[in-house]
Amino acid sequence: MTTTSTSGTRPDDVRRHNRAALLRRLHVDGPSTRASLATALGLNRSTIKALVDGLAEDGVVEERVPAQRSGAGRPSLLVLPQPQAAVVLAIDIRVERAAMALVGIGGQILGRDSWRVRGGHGEPTEVFTKIMDYVGPLVAEQEVGPVAIGVSVPGVVRHSDGYVHEAPNLHWTDVPLGGWLSHALKLPVHMGNDAELGALAEHLRGAARRHDDVVYISADVGVGGGVISNGLSMRGAGGHHIGEVGHMVVKPGGRPCYCGSRGCWETEIGERALCRALGIDEDSPVGAIVAELRALGEAGDEALARLDEFVEWLALGLGNVVNLLCPQLVVLGDLFSALPAPVVGKVEQIVRERSLVSRALGGTRVCTSALGTDAKLLGAAELAFETVLSDW
Amino acid sequence: MNEPILELRGVNKSFGPVHVLHDVDLTVRPGEVTALVGDNGAGKSTLVKAIAGIHGTDSGEVLFNGKPVHIHNPREAAALGIEVVYQDLALADNLDIVQNMFLGRERVKNGLLDEASMELDARKTLASLSVRTVKSVRTPVSSLSGGQRQTVAIAKAVLWNSKVVLLDEPTAALGVAQTRQVLDLVRRLAEQGLGVVLISHNMNDVFEVADRIAVLYLGRLAADVATKDVTNNQVVELITAGRSGELGLARPEVAAV
Repeated sequence: MTTTSTSGTRPDDVRRHNRAALLRRLHVDGPSTRASLATALGLNRSTIKALVDGLAEDGVVEERVPAQRSGAGRPSLLVLPQPQAAVVLAIDIRVERAAMALVGIGGQILGRDSWRVRGGHGEPTEVFTKIMDYVGPLVAEQEVGPVAIGVSVPGVVRHSDGYVHEAPNLHWTDVPLGGWLSHALKLPVHMGNDAELGALAEHLRGAARRHDDVVYISADVGVGGGVISNGLSMRGAGGHHIGEVGHMVVKPGGRPCYCGSRGCWETEIGERALCRALGIDEDSPVGAIVAELRALGEAGDEALARLDEFVEWLALGLGNVVNLLCPQLVVLGDLFSALPAPVVGKVEQIVRERSLVSRALGGTRVCTSALGTDAKLLGAAELAFETVLSDW
Repeated sequence: MNEPILELRGVNKSFGPVHVLHDVDLTVRPGEVTALVGDNGAGKSTLVKAIAGIHGTDSGEVLFNGKPVHIHNPREAAALGIEVVYQDLALADNLDIVQNMFLGRERVKNGLLDEASMELDARKTLASLSVRTVKSVRTPVSSLSGGQRQTVAIAKAVLWNSKVVLLDEPTAALGVAQTRQVLDLVRRLAEQGLGVVLISHNMNDVFEVADRIAVLYLGRLAADVATKDVTNNQVVELITAGRSGELGLARPEVAAV
């Protein structure tokens, strides 16, 4: 949204910028009164009125007299974003399943679908074909077409054109998925790494709201990480995401990892490792792991001792992550969001004891995701919304 | 393997001279979708009704959470945490969503129905499943689409904290988009750790959602296999002939008698 052009700014640009800022605010924070928008954006009331009137004319917002009054005087009108006014298609590709949703302004899921990606060997073309098969009925049901597409992929993705360099757990290399989708659906496509998008979603809508320095760690089959630093997704060279923490080597000579290395963090805390710790089949479906974790949480502290070694590995890696990235908050997502509260508390405590950065911050908080398995889907939607809203 | 939540051992059921279920064993594990498939008259619906307490069984054992139980009526099944979603008669048309979700189990406060708390919980449940397709929880069910109705029926299972959900052809009367909507919900129920049994005739649906496939052939359990270990053709053979290669009944022609 910030421009670095050398020429002067014309009133038109200013208006466009303000409108985008207002829309973004409504999108992230939900319905607000005109008065609170004026305060939040630092604009005067007549500017807000002009902007809101313009958006109302486009059908993007609706105004209503608030049901609950606060303070004296004429109540300020409540501005409600209309989810249907701008809809994006979010796609979340995972190792064992793929999900798709139409998401409206305000982050509301209007319609959704998901399907199994068979046996974890989903050929890229098969996944693409299914998307094309199911997007028709989804859009027809909602009677509203998307204006952009956001895609989450568990791998290394080039942001500029959605080229998947490598998605090891999917066994994908060099797949121009972004190109296929934009060509077939005639829409702009934005793609990102799954954990990076999970971090974005938690930051905007989940457990990490109002926290500007956050690390999101998630276990699907593999373990990924996403970093929000100073309120923005942290990117590295070539615009690639930062946070492949699952492949930090924590145990020299440990179990072989599919990435070609040995003893990666993922081999000790990933889905398989969690199954081993729980004493269930390594191929157990996600629901079985969730059910087992819940049963364990209900059974009490003694039963939780089974997870001690797992907790130790989780805390060890997290300590490194906290020392490196200095977050206020660590959000554990996806499969980790089913971890019983005492386990999460224990991890937080160990990290605090061992990490000097955590101690300096008065203890980095560790919590579970508020969005659960939808985090990456919502993150993909937010990625697509970024340009949709700023170009409004 | 994790422990089964619901287990049937050697269940038999006859309607007069007709022996409908023969020594059926069925295992339902938490977090898994078990598809129950079979030809018409193979006994799928009878089996579900036996679990739900609508039909009694003649012999055999039912274990819930490892303990033997006797389910005599649907109310007892619901009390254990078994919810059943039927093809069509799942909801009462003249009532709204909240009334349907609490039907027969209404909350009472000071001798009056506690509408506010029921409405709040109904709304919370639908939101937790991110079902936002219904405008208001006070919409009469008669004005909902088929897919929305099934969604409400399935959401009941979540509201009542059920452990097992049995779905008897939940998508049989639905169009493409609505079928997708229901299958998506079924998958997410399992991901939350519920044990799900899905009866379906559609092999595509079965292969898309099920972790395991249990095949009934003329009242006998022909096979109970992991979805990833079988092909579409093998399952069709099991359904039609009770046998496919190494899988299935030893001598289906005898079983047929």
